[in-house]
Amino acid sequence: MSAGLSLAHEPVVGVPHGKLAMWIFLASEIMFFSGFFGAFIVLRNSNLEMFSHSAAELNKWLALLNTAVLIGSSLTMALSILNLQRGNKKNFQLFLGLTIVCGFIFLIVKTIEYASKFNHVDEVFPHGIYPSSNVFFAFYFTMTGFHALHVICGLIPMIFMLSKSFTKEGYNKPVKVETLGLYWHFVDLVWIFLFPILYLIFPAHH
Amino acid sequence: MSHHEHPSDAEMIKQYLKVFTWLFIFTALTVFAAMDWVPKSWGEIGSTVHITVGLIIAFIKAIMVIYIFMHIKFDSKFLRAFIFVPLFLFCVLTFALNVLGP
Repeated sequence: MSAGLSLAHEPVVGVPHGKLAMWIFLASEIMFFSGFFGAFIVLRNSNLEMFSHSAAELNKWLALLNTAVLIGSSLTMALSILNLQRGNKKNFQLFLGLTIVCGFIFLIVKTIEYASKFNHVDEVFPHGIYPSSNVFFAFYFTMTGFHALHVICGLIPMIFMLSKSFTKEGYNKPVKVETLGLYWHFVDLVWIFLFPILYLIFPAHH
Repeated sequence: MSHHEHPSDAEMIKQYLKVFTWLFIFTALTVFAAMDWVPKSWGEIGSTVHITVGLIIAFIKAIMVIYIFMHIKFDSKFLRAFIFVPLFLFCVLTFALNVLGP
């Protein structure tokens, strides 16, 4: 076979096909979330007071905890890829396992947060807080809901890879783990923007 | 296509830990930026200033994650277009909508 021909790598950019496909997918994902962020900012500008008051109902400390968990999971994911590439199976399993644990902690915290909103009762929200409560909460549930869905979609292949690594044949596909890593870091990226936009929404001065 | 040489494992881990630390520092900065430090006399512009500062910090954090954790620094330059073009458009969109203000 000639040196330039390889089915495993895209010939122009020289990266594996799967990785290139993931980058294209992530580019489309940025545009997907851009729509939400754009619409959120426009609506916020026309309802500053309501958005500020609604954001005050959110638990910033739980969101801060989730930010720390996701940043930590990005580090463990990067370390798991590095260890698999170097053939260090034990450390690969350790760091991938930690990434999965971080993903589950994130989802548990989010569940606690959602439950507290549904059970929240006061004068402004006498029947609890739901997506139908106001525009702010419609965005809050939609954006964080889609983000949580992305976390779940990342956890499924991770669990598969980890469980496969414990079998006799093991799991030795560093490119696939690297491609999944790109996706996981993207999930972290989305949260980096969601955290200040939703939870630290800034006070309206009048 | 020239791109950075892949560093040694020890160097790579050092870079990961550095980015990890900076991400925490910038997260703390984001929390401080959300506090009520803009004078009330600025009116509605104050809110725009707040959110702009928050977004700038978020973009710095995003670039660190993309460069080091996502390995763009060491990969083909061609790949950078896939992330930086939409990220640039996202940046323009959010800042423009924000600066247009209430």
